[in-house]
This record gives sequence, C-alpha cells and structure tokens, in this order.
Amino acid sequence: MNFSVLEAYQGAILGGLGTTIYICALSIALGLVLGLAIELVRQELPWMRMPCRIYVEFFRGSPILIQIFLIYYAGPHFGLLLSPVTAGVVGLSLYGAAYYAEIFRSGFEAVPKGQIEAAECLGISPSRVLWRIKLPQMTALVLPPLVNQSIILIKDSAVLSVITVPELTKQTSKIINETFTIAEPLLVLALLYWALVEGLSRLGRFLETRMNRHITSSAGRTS
Amino acid sequence: MSSAFEFEVVLTSLPTLLKGAGVTLGISMASIALGLVVGMLVCLCRISDRKLLSWPAAVFISALRGIPILVLLLIVFYMLPLVGIGIPPIMAAILSMSLNSGAFQAEIYRGGFLSIPRGQAEAARALGMSESRILWRILIPQVMNKVAPSLTNELIMLLKNSSLASSITVVELLRTSQQIVSNTYRPTELYLTAALLYILMSIAISVVSDTARRKFYHGGRVTA
Amino acid sequence: MSLARTNIPPVINITNLHKRFGNLEVLKGIDLDIYQSEVVCLIGPSGSGKSTLLRCINFLESYEQGLVKINEEPMGFVEMYDGTLRKAPAARVLESRRDLGMVFQHFNLWPHMNVLENVTEALRSVKLRPRDKAEAKGKAMLEKVGLGDKLDSYPANLSGGQQQRVAIARALAMDPSIMLFDEPTSALDPELVGDVLAVMRSLAAEGMTMVIVTHEMGFAMDVADRVVFMEDGKIVEQGDPKTLFNAPKSPRLAAFLSSWNRRTNS
Repeated sequence: MNFSVLEAYQGAILGGLGTTIYICALSIALGLVLGLAIELVRQELPWMRMPCRIYVEFFRGSPILIQIFLIYYAGPHFGLLLSPVTAGVVGLSLYGAAYYAEIFRSGFEAVPKGQIEAAECLGISPSRVLWRIKLPQMTALVLPPLVNQSIILIKDSAVLSVITVPELTKQTSKIINETFTIAEPLLVLALLYWALVEGLSRLGRFLETRMNRHITSSAGRTS
Repeated sequence: MSSAFEFEVVLTSLPTLLKGAGVTLGISMASIALGLVVGMLVCLCRISDRKLLSWPAAVFISALRGIPILVLLLIVFYMLPLVGIGIPPIMAAILSMSLNSGAFQAEIYRGGFLSIPRGQAEAARALGMSESRILWRILIPQVMNKVAPSLTNELIMLLKNSSLASSITVVELLRTSQQIVSNTYRPTELYLTAALLYILMSIAISVVSDTARRKFYHGGRVTA
Repeated sequence: MSLARTNIPPVINITNLHKRFGNLEVLKGIDLDIYQSEVVCLIGPSGSGKSTLLRCINFLESYEQGLVKINEEPMGFVEMYDGTLRKAPAARVLESRRDLGMVFQHFNLWPHMNVLENVTEALRSVKLRPRDKAEAKGKAMLEKVGLGDKLDSYPANLSGGQQQRVAIARALAMDPSIMLFDEPTSALDPELVGDVLAVMRSLAAEGMTMVIVTHEMGFAMDVADRVVFMEDGKIVEQGDPKTLFNAPKSPRLAAFLSSWNRRTNS
C-alpha cells in the first residue's frame, strides 16, 4: 500500500475533516436546543402534544437520507433554496432534535414528582423549578444518551456526501476518482471517523464521571 | 413553483415503490440474520477469558461501530474487487450491514450475558454440565429473551440504514424513489411517500415483534 | 375544642368537599373548620382519604365539588362578581400557597443542593430575598430544628429524621401561618421518629396552626387539640383526643383503635 499518494491531498482531507467537524458541531448544538424546546413545548402546551409527537415519529422513523433529500431536492419547490452545507446542517439538526427530544423526555420523567410538589408548595415558579431542580438533576442522567446520539449524528453526517457537501467522505471520493487509488483513501477515511467517534466517546465518559461526583442519586434512600 | 400535492403520482408509483420496499425488507432481514451469527460469535470471543480471543473481538467491535455505514459500504464495494472477489452490489450491501450490525449486536448480547446472575452458571457447573451445554441450554436462551426488544430496535435501524445501499447502486426503496423522481420531477410527493413507507415498515416490525414475544414467552415479561 | 370561637372565622374552612379519582369517590362531602393555633390530627385507616384531604387544602389536588377557603380566601378558585367560582390561574395558586407550609412523608428534599441551599431556595426565588438575608433566615430555621451544624451537608448524607427536619425548616423559612404534615414520620425508622415529633411539638407550643395526617397516636394524644377520625371518605368522629381515644362514640373508631392497640402492643 502506498500512502504517499495522499500527501498531496492533505489539504483536501483536512478541509473535509474541518467541514465535517463544523457541520456536526453546529448541528449538534442546534439539535440540542431544538430538542429541548420541542420537549418543553410538548409538556407545557397540551395542544402541541400531537404535532410534537408527529415530528418526533417522522424524524426518528424515516432514514436521514430521505429527510436530506426532502430538504435539498423538494425544498426548492417551496421556495427553499439552500446550499448543500446549509441543507445538511438543517437536515441533521432537525433529525438530531427528534432524538434529543425523546432523551430529554426520559430525563424529565426521571425526576421524582415529590420534589416538584415540594417546590410548588413553597410557591416556586415553573421556570425556576425547571432551572434549579429539574435540569440539574437530569444532566447526569441524560448526558450518556445525548453523547451517544451525537456520535451517531457524526457518523450519519457522511450521508451528506450524497448531496455534494464537501465533507470528509465527499473529499475522499474525489481523491479516489482523481488518483485511482481506493484502499489508501478509504482506510484513512475510516480511521479518521473512528478517531472522531472514539474521541467523543472518551470525552463523554470523562464528563459522565465528573458529573456523577456532584449529583447524588435521589433514588434509593428516600423518594 | 409547483402545483398542489399530486396524489396521482403517488398512486401510480406505489407498485414500483412497494417493490423497492420489498428489497429494503429483504436486505434488512438478511443483514440482521447474518448479524446475529456474527454478533454472537464475536460476543462469545469478547467475553472469553482468553486474551487471544477477546482482544481482536474488542477491536472488531470498536472498529465497526466507529465508522459510518456509508464508509463501510464503500470499503466493501470498492475494495473487495481489488482482492479478486467480485460480488453484486446487493451482496456487498448485505455483507457491510451484517458486519456493522454484528458489531452492535455483539454489544447487545454482551449486556445480556452480563445481566445473568453468575450463580446460574455456577449451579449448572456444580451439577456437572459441560461449558457448551451451559451456554446453549441456559445462558443463550435467557440472553435472547432479554435482548429481544433491543433486537427489534436494531432491525428498525437496519431498515433505515439500508437506504444507504442506494449509493452503491442497489435498487431498494430510496433508489427506486430517486428513479421515479428523475422521471416525474415530483420529489416532495415521492420522498414523503417513501418516508411514510419506511415508517409503516418500522411500525409493522414493532407490532410483529411484540406479538411474537407474547406468543413465544407466554406473556411473561423478563424483569429488568 | 377550646379554640372553637364563633366570632373569629376559621383559618381553614372546608365545605362539602367531594373528590374522585376516575370512578372512585375518595372524599364524600367533607366539612371541616380549623382555627388559628389549633393542632388537628387526621387519623384513619389507609384509603380513608386523609392524605387526599390534606392535599386538597393546598390545592395539590383539585376537586369537583365544594370549596376550601384559607383565611377566608377561596383556594385554587377565584370568586367572580356574580358569586360563581372559576379555576384560579396557576400563578395565583402559587401565591396563595405561601401561607401554607407542607411537609411530605418522603421529605422531597432536592438531592443536588446542600441543606442550606434547600432551605433558602424558595426564599431567594419566590420572596426574592438577597443571599445574606436568606441565609441568615435559613440558618435560624435550621438551628431551630437542631441542625445548625449541617448547613453544608447533602441530603444523602443525613439520616431520615434529619432530612425530615430539614424539610420542616425549609417550609418554616417561608413564615407560613399554617403547616400541613402528610404522615411526616411514616417513612422513618422508629428511633428517628422522636426527633421529628419533638420539633413538631415545639412548633405546636409556639402556637402554629397545624394539620397533621399521622399514625402516631401517642403524639396525637399529647399534642393535638382535636383529632378527626376519617373512614371511607367521610369524617366519622372528631373531638379532643382524650375523650376520643378513651371513649369513642362510633363503633368504627372503636374498632380502628383496638386494632391499632393490638398492633402496637404485640
């Protein structure tokens, strides 16, 4: 195997990697905010329960590629003309938000109802209850699934190559087409994704252990 | 600017789409079945006490879970011919997805094995049962029952991931809808219908799996 | 009963309260008045509706018929110009609860905050006290319940009895005029019960109006001004504890007391 061929294309590879990281970071951030918003709306506004449910079922039940196609190819028919990168970020964010919303839902349900009641009896407002009592306790619980889902999102970002986003997979395809080498670029591609995924996993585990030091589990002793 | 939602297109393309859906289901089923074999074997290696078995298994699991399925598809599809193995795209797709699913299933089974109290195997050993007998008659049946819900989820994931086979020219549901779109220029109608078909298939799988569980295990839910 | 003054209105006035959970009617027409500085114990078998009644008082449970008035103001409902009642908006309910403190069977402390933070949280977010004033009040309340040295501890590091006393301090910090207790000692190991009862005793001695759902007959005998016996969603008998326990008028109360004595004596 001859990896020297790739030296000339270092820029392309790094560019692709950068684009992947940029798109994923943005999509994860937007997805988290949107996911939390969807879950909060679902809790507070009874008439929004069905729409939120439909949203979550659609984006979790259909393949990410179809969702991207709908945004990129069907979008223009509705006046939505997005660049591949923007379409990619929008698609990944909407997709991620559906999964994040479900994770937040389990998190909220895990907070013992008694603590919320005690807060209500003391007259504490719902938004304050959210900030000071629900979210701090949920964090330790939802962090591992949120990290897992984000890792899945990073792997799924490879599909954006299909709509010509110049991310890592697309750049590698270009290299394959231009140099007629297959094994070396693909193996480097695999290795880079693996490194990204492994890195984020380690980060997630590190955060988990840090969080668990502060949060004491409320289950077990009292309710 | 396009006109209102054209139901006509949906109706006329439904038969073709359903054919594609059939291919999708076929790929998914084949992959989960092969993945089961791969996954169980890899899992047994992973939990073995012999470093020679557990270490490569761990590497396999980490590698195949850590790379995107699309990349795995590309590797299998483009690199196998290099070593002289020429296989049709659909086989390449099934192979890739089986390997990927196998890695995830290996972890699912590992969790299952770990959740069975040690005492059960010890009691069996004390009765003089051989290790392989313990495995096949006591451990694996319980593991399979416990992980059934996870396996259903895995099948649903495979269903969605099979859409990536479209990028190596397999004519499954997504590619079928792409082809129809290129003829009719109605992406909204077709991709939405395809999406709904995926969702319906997932629901069907859940329902079938729930009823199957209830029938085979007499409605007894395994706790924890 | 020495406090049943006819010229001073009751601080808690419950009229014709009916409550159902689905098809099950849990409260079947409760009429009860509780006066300032009275200590009232609600006793009865499980399923009698005593906890539900308590939770209706501060509107943790809503109800279908009847009315609860706290200090003559309807609780959970707003009286309209024409005399009809409408459900009060959530913010109003929160405000009305400030005068009522509640202590729960399972303490419901917030595990991610330490003792002082638990006690001062409502002071800072509801009454908007600045940090130093809130902490001063919090410390005072914790001293009062005998936990002045546990300010930095976390609930997980405290015994059940200590946690419950923190819960009491947390409720007291808001200066309520009425304290509600929902089986405050039922979840505690027997040897820890005494500390919590001691705190409740001193509160009563200070003149706090208290409504207590409890199984601690000894406590009720000593401290209560009035004991209310409930069964099957209705008030069967009420009166001062000595008369009630020694000479119950209704056979159901007699049966309840005798089964209770058998249990505690065996």
